[in-house]
Amino acid sequence: MSLKKIFPGFAGILILFSISVVSSRAEELDAQKLLEQVDENLWADTKFISGRLIIDNGRKVRILTQDSWMEGVTRSYSHYKSPPREKGTKMLKIGGKLWMYTPRTDRKILIAGHLLRQSMMGSDLSYEDMMEDHKLSRAYAASLEGYEDMEGTRVAVLHLVAHDKKTTYQTRKAWINPENKTVLKEERFAKSGKKLKSILFKDYEKIEGRMFPRTMIFKDLLKENTQTTYKFDVIEFNVKIPARYFSQSILKR
Amino acid sequence: MNWDIARKNFYRQGMRAFLNVLVTALSIIALIFMLSLLNGFQAQSTRNLVTTDIAGGHYRAPGFDILAPTEWEDHTLKVPGKLLQLPTTDKVEVLVQQGQLYPNRRLYPVQIRGISMDQTLLSLPLDNLKNFDQKIEDVIPAVVGVKMARKALLKKGDLLTLKWRDKSGAVDARDILIVDVGDMINPRVDDGVVWLRLDHLRSMTDRENEVSWVAVRNYIGAVDSFDFQPVEHLMADLLALFNQDRRNSKILWSILMILVCTSVFNTQVLNIFKRQKEIGTLMALGMDSNRIVRIFTLEGTLAAIWALVIAAILGIPFFIWYQGVGFDVTHLSEATFPVRETIYPDYQALEIFYSLAIVFVLMVLAAWLPVRKITRLDPTLALRGRAIT
Repeated sequence: MSLKKIFPGFAGILILFSISVVSSRAEELDAQKLLEQVDENLWADTKFISGRLIIDNGRKVRILTQDSWMEGVTRSYSHYKSPPREKGTKMLKIGGKLWMYTPRTDRKILIAGHLLRQSMMGSDLSYEDMMEDHKLSRAYAASLEGYEDMEGTRVAVLHLVAHDKKTTYQTRKAWINPENKTVLKEERFAKSGKKLKSILFKDYEKIEGRMFPRTMIFKDLLKENTQTTYKFDVIEFNVKIPARYFSQSILKR
Repeated sequence: MNWDIARKNFYRQGMRAFLNVLVTALSIIALIFMLSLLNGFQAQSTRNLVTTDIAGGHYRAPGFDILAPTEWEDHTLKVPGKLLQLPTTDKVEVLVQQGQLYPNRRLYPVQIRGISMDQTLLSLPLDNLKNFDQKIEDVIPAVVGVKMARKALLKKGDLLTLKWRDKSGAVDARDILIVDVGDMINPRVDDGVVWLRLDHLRSMTDRENEVSWVAVRNYIGAVDSFDFQPVEHLMADLLALFNQDRRNSKILWSILMILVCTSVFNTQVLNIFKRQKEIGTLMALGMDSNRIVRIFTLEGTLAAIWALVIAAILGIPFFIWYQGVGFDVTHLSEATFPVRETIYPDYQALEIFYSLAIVFVLMVLAAWLPVRKITRLDPTLALRGRAIT
C-alpha cells in the first residue's frame, strides 16, 4: 500500500481523534460545577475591601476611594473617603434594599425599585450591578461553549442562562480559567442577545488561600469611551464586622 | 338741554378733553389686547393638548403619574372590556415605559410611548410608523418629534440602540430605526419621547393588552380598576398658570383704570375750580344745583363715549393686523408649554362688552364724584370765584 493511499485515511483518523479529544475534554468539564467553584473562590463569609473606583466618562476621570465591609452576598456597607464632594457618603445594602447617606444633605435615601437601575455616581455600574446579591452558580445554568486562549491561558467559555425571568441579565458569558477557578472576563447580555456590559478581572493574587482579582474593569458597551475601574488595594477575608455596620443607625455623620 | 350744554362745555375743554379720551382709549385697547392674548394662549394650548394627548380625558391605571418615570412600569393594566368595546374613533390605548436611548453612543433617558395605530382620535404625525412593514425582529420602527431630534441629534433613517426593561425586570436592548421626525404641536409629547407602535411595545415588554391609560373622546362612566382623569385635571398645571396670569392681568388692568379715573377726576376738579363763576351764574339764574351736577357728569360721560369711539377707531385695525402676525412665544414652546411658536389673540364678544361696560361705569363715577360738591356751593361766592380756594 502506497503512502499516498494510507495518508488520507491516517489524516482523517487524526482529525477525528483530535475532535473527540476536544469534545471529550469539553464534556469532562462540568460547567455548573466550575461556576460553583468560582463562586466558592470569590465569596467569603465576610470580607473587607479598601479600594478605588476610577470613573472615566470619556471627558473626565474621577477617583473615589472607599472602604467596604461585606457579609455573604446580602449585606454590605461602604464608606466613601474621597474626593471631598463624595467624602462621608455611605451606602448600606441589606437584602434587596440599598440606603444611601450623603453628608451634604444629612439625609438617608432608600434606593429601591427602579432607582436601582440608575448609574451609580456616574459610573458604568448601576446600583443594581453594584449590589448584585446572588451567586452566579445559583442564578444561572451554565453550559460550556468551548475553549479560548486568553493572554496565553486556555480558558473555558461558559454560557450562562438565568433560571428566573426576573434576573436582570438573562444571559451572560464567562471566561474562566479552569486551573485556578478564576474568572478572567464576563459579558452581560440583554434579553435580545445584545451585548451590554463587559467586565475584565485582572491582577489576580492569592490572598488568604483565595485567588482574588485586584482590578475589575467595567464597561457599558452601549456608551462610548467610558469605563469604570475598581481597584482593590486592601482585601481581607473572614474579618469580624461590628454589628452596627449593618444597621441603619450608621447612616449619619 | 342738559346734553347740549354738556356737549358744548366738553368740546370747549379742547386738548385737555382730547388727552383724557386718548389715554382712556389706549387703556381700553390694552385691556382688550391683554385679555384676548391670554384667551388665545389658553385656547391654543388646550386645543394642542386635547388633539395630541388628552382628548376628552384619560382612563388611567391607578397610581400612574407622568411625573414619576421610575414608577411607570408599576402602573399598567389590561384594557377592561368596557373600554375595549369603544370604537377606535373614540379611544386611544397608550402604554408608557421608561427607556434609555443611545444616540451616538451617549445615554439619553427617554419616555417610550406606545400608541395604537388604528386610532383616529389624536392627531399625531405617526403615519410612517403605521405604514412601516418590516417585522419587529429586524428592527423596531420609531418616530421622534422635531424638538427631540434636535436635542438628541437624530434624523430620519438613524439606527440606534434603545434599552428598556420587560415586565419581569429583565433588561433588554434592540436597535431602533427612526422612520420619521414628526412635527409635534405639543412639546410634551415631543421632548424626550420615543413613539412606538403599541403592539411592538407590548411585545417588547411582555405586556400583552396592557396600557398605562386609555384616552377617550367622552367620559363613559366609571370603569373597573381604572381612574378617570378629566381634561381639567390633566391640564391642571396649565390652568393654574392661566389663573395666575389672569390675576396678574387684573392687577395691571386695575393700575391702568386707576390712572384713567385719576385723570378724569383731576379734569373734573379743575373744571369746577376754573368754572366757579359759570356755576355761580347758572345758580343765580335759578338752575338747580343737581342739574348742574348732571351737566358736569354728562361731560365725563361724553369723554367715556368718545374714549370708546377712539378705542374702536384705533383698536380694530390694530387687532385685525395683530391677528395676522400673532405673538412670538418661541421661548415658551422651548419650555414645554403646549403652544407653537406664535399665539393669536382670541377676542370674546361678551368679555369685551363687560370690560367696556366696567370702564364706562368707572369713568362716569370718576366724573361724578368730584362734582358732587357743587350742591354745597354758595352761589354768591361762586359768582366771585371764591367758593373753592
